[in-house]
Amino acid sequence: MFDRIWCMIVKEFLQLRRDKYARFRLLVPPIIQMLVYGYAATFEVNRVQIAVIDFDHSQESRDLLSRFAFTGRFEVAKVLSNEQELKSLIGRSSIPMALKIEPGFAELLRKGQTAHLQVIVDGTNSNTALIAVGYVNQIANQFSQDYARDRLNQLAPAIAATVPQISLEQRPWYNPDLNSQWFFVPGVIGSITLMMVVTLTAFAIVREREIGTLEQIMVTPIRPFELILGKTIPFFVVGLADVLLVAVVGTLWFQVPFRGNPLVLLLGVVLFLLSTLNVGLLISTLSSTQQQAFVLGFFFLNPAFTLSGFAFPITSMPKAMQMITYADPLRYFLVILRGTFLKGVGLDVLWPQMLALALLTSVLLLISVARFRKSID
Amino acid sequence: MSDVPSIVVDKLVKRFGTFIAVNQVSFQIRAGEIFGLLGPNGSGKSTIIRMLCGLLSPSSGSATVVEFDVARQAEEVRRHIGYMSQKFSLYNDLTAIENLQFFGGLYGVKGRALDERIAWAIKMSGLSGSEQLLTGELSGGWKQRLALGCAVLHRPQVLFLDEPTAGVDPLSRRQFWELIHQMSREGVTILVTTHYMDEAEYCNRLALINQGLVVEMGTPTEIKQTAIRGDLLLIECSPLGGGLAAIKQAPGVLEASVFGAALHVVISPGRQPVTELPAFLAAHDVRVGRIEPISPSLEDAFVSLTGSRALSSEPSR
Amino acid sequence: MSRKEFTQIRRDPHSLIILLFLPLIQILLLGYGARLDANHIPVYVLDQEGSQDSQALLKAFQASPYFDVIKVVNDYHALVRAIDADQCKLGIVIPWNFSERLDDAGRTSVQAIVDGTDDNSAQLAEGYAQAVVATYASNVQLDWFARYGLSQQATSPLSVDYRTWFNEDLESKNFIIPGTVALVMALMGALLSSLTIAREWERGTMEQLIATPVTALEIMVGKLVPYLGIGLVDAALCAVFAVGWFGVPFRGGLGAFFLTTILFLIVILGIGYMISVATKSQLGASQYALLVTLLPTSMLSGFAFPIDQMPAPIRAITYLVYSRYYVSALKRIFLSGAGINDLVPEIVAMTIYALVIGSFATRAFHKSLQ
Repeated sequence: MFDRIWCMIVKEFLQLRRDKYARFRLLVPPIIQMLVYGYAATFEVNRVQIAVIDFDHSQESRDLLSRFAFTGRFEVAKVLSNEQELKSLIGRSSIPMALKIEPGFAELLRKGQTAHLQVIVDGTNSNTALIAVGYVNQIANQFSQDYARDRLNQLAPAIAATVPQISLEQRPWYNPDLNSQWFFVPGVIGSITLMMVVTLTAFAIVREREIGTLEQIMVTPIRPFELILGKTIPFFVVGLADVLLVAVVGTLWFQVPFRGNPLVLLLGVVLFLLSTLNVGLLISTLSSTQQQAFVLGFFFLNPAFTLSGFAFPITSMPKAMQMITYADPLRYFLVILRGTFLKGVGLDVLWPQMLALALLTSVLLLISVARFRKSID
Repeated sequence: MSDVPSIVVDKLVKRFGTFIAVNQVSFQIRAGEIFGLLGPNGSGKSTIIRMLCGLLSPSSGSATVVEFDVARQAEEVRRHIGYMSQKFSLYNDLTAIENLQFFGGLYGVKGRALDERIAWAIKMSGLSGSEQLLTGELSGGWKQRLALGCAVLHRPQVLFLDEPTAGVDPLSRRQFWELIHQMSREGVTILVTTHYMDEAEYCNRLALINQGLVVEMGTPTEIKQTAIRGDLLLIECSPLGGGLAAIKQAPGVLEASVFGAALHVVISPGRQPVTELPAFLAAHDVRVGRIEPISPSLEDAFVSLTGSRALSSEPSR
Repeated sequence: MSRKEFTQIRRDPHSLIILLFLPLIQILLLGYGARLDANHIPVYVLDQEGSQDSQALLKAFQASPYFDVIKVVNDYHALVRAIDADQCKLGIVIPWNFSERLDDAGRTSVQAIVDGTDDNSAQLAEGYAQAVVATYASNVQLDWFARYGLSQQATSPLSVDYRTWFNEDLESKNFIIPGTVALVMALMGALLSSLTIAREWERGTMEQLIATPVTALEIMVGKLVPYLGIGLVDAALCAVFAVGWFGVPFRGGLGAFFLTTILFLIVILGIGYMISVATKSQLGASQYALLVTLLPTSMLSGFAFPIDQMPAPIRAITYLVYSRYYVSALKRIFLSGAGINDLVPEIVAMTIYALVIGSFATRAFHKSLQ
């Protein structure tokens, strides 16, 4: 039995080696994904370009505006002098935000009343806007507190010291610098493996069916499960190699930390690979041509990738969509990946994901094998 | 040839939905016999072979190969058979040797035995010196023999060949059949499907298949003799189409059809064609050239039995 | 030529269904799935004091629409375990001497432990938490001021007024969905062109065509025009869906929409065509390449990730990514109400692309005929 499986594995690797495009197909996608998600995809908000327009020209207004200029989050790109310029700037240029101070600003403050800072936001990129708003609030808040305290010091120095102040200390865990790369790069391990293993496996089996060698193999004493193993083991190896490649590049080049137990990750990797192999297998039983395999593969991979929590948080999705993600192996693997790389947690926390992957694999395997038997007929 | 039946097929049926591809087919093949399934494309012969190989399961009926039931003991069956598919399914991106090693491994042929068999297969295919060529670079004839080699590395007792010489030049075809005969002499039972007439002549026995039914069975000679219920004439005339239409109405003519540039006409035995027919045709504005009796070919037999002209004859004959 | 292609397509119901439904499914998927907003962020609160004051702060968090206070725990380990196990994304720790310190020294601090794995959600969560605490603090100060007769004084002298233009609710769907139209069109275009070429070569009819007096350019244009038509229909469907189903505003000009879409489709179809022609014998390879590289590179188009936040070298690369222009144009058309005049730079860039790709594709086709 093992001889036959070995035979098939040897053949698969021989073909892989002979294939001119194989090297291209195996190396380029992981590299591209790592580049894109390591560098291009970022949620960080830094050096947001803002425009300022100050109609008050007081010490207070200048103080407030300078606080924005001094933080790394914002970059004062333009100082405007009238409303017209504002209208032509927001929405028509790349500057997403403008700060406006009306005349009378300092006067209101000195009288102890509330003065206003107007912020005009280009909602076209609402995500950046939302995050930037958070930072604007922070700076405004700080200004408020400082000003109020100074005022109190002047008015009633005796009680100034005991004004209640509540500050919020932010402590981001696992990713203290809130580095987008740390979020994405471990995820790429999952996404790239998913795509490659599913498509490679599906195409490999369907190709044999197309050229007729599948039939030729079926008339030998080989048993269906030996055939399946023989076709899937090579891609298991390829998947493993991909995981290793991205993990190594991730930790060495992108300096993503790995705080967990490598064995736990390995278990997750194995379970995940098994599930993706089964998906590829299932697709191959449903397609008789490579064209069909392509379309089916696409139908699966697109939602599997988009809804997995890779870039967009699952909790932001409507409940119905969240239900769908329960069938996506990548969803569980991402939790395992981020858990072992960033959080450093072990099986005691990750066992639900492992269990889910194991269940998914078994179900898929049963369906695929049943379909495989039928598809021979 | 021994008398022990190697393959027994009993009322085999295969249905695809409502379409009946194989309809109560029965026959027996003795060990060492070369048995041919002759019929046009779509007649069900490939389906029969695939059921015997265990690739399809029968809808009803039974079949045993070397005493193993194909439905319930498929694995044992496969250990004892070799199969060559219509497309000579080999891996084009592997070399000849690699293909042989692969299939040999699947059949469980190992070590010294495998080396010997591979060497034999290379020699038999005429590929000595070209073992390292990629199979995709080989021409049809070589690929065909290589595929045969891959199918028999494990010295099976039964060999199934499905349209083995499709798309191969005549010379290679002849060489191929010499190999087949050699194997038959060594006791291998061979079941061949084909739609080529001349190949059918190579077989010990034939079964003519049409639309899933066995129309006739016997040796080529038997079939040729019994199928035609009269004497066969070759008539050259012009116009051909007009001549065909006319002669069908001639007295004593049982069947007529166009064969190449002439008509083949079956007349009741005992008539005097040479004298009667030309006059008849002339009366219908048909000029007659040659008239001579010919011995029936398998194609004549087939046409007669089925009333169809779906088979092809070898043009280079 | 085009007529033949049309009849062929009509006779192939499978492809037709795929061509029409696929974009809709994509839009649905991405429209619902690609959300960057943070709502109902799961929160655990560790109230170490349990006083009236701390309860008030707890209520403030519970009242916030951005947070879902799932549990109030009383030991630190439970909190740690919850964050580790993804049961909450934010943990608020109210110290045991919260109100005490407030009365004595006037200062106290509350800790917000945020799960930084997803930095985007983390930043949003931090921002919202900050706002909640600030409001609470402001109320506490107001009370305090009232006690000392300083109720005239403003506790928060500075108030920020926000005015959002173009995407008033700042919902991520409004800015992501126009981009997804571009994404979907890219995928459809690639799919379309690879389908048609593959089919032709397989059937060998391409060679028959070559024997006719039709020129290469005519063949290519004739083949692609119907797909251009289908692509436009798809784009229109997507737009209708975006507006009707998701409620994304469409304020711009229809002319601009169709013009940019046509230019984009020409580029996409041309590229897909070139890939298919180049790898016609390796069907699997070409499709695989499309599948695996299209998805990630679409990320560079600016549809979800803002281009100006990308490091400089990557930003430079995005000028080459043709979908970038289409995405930017779409966003402006949908949200800012841009018309053809406002989109001149994008249109120019896309036209250049179309011409370049067009000539390359024709040349590729010529070569393939030999």
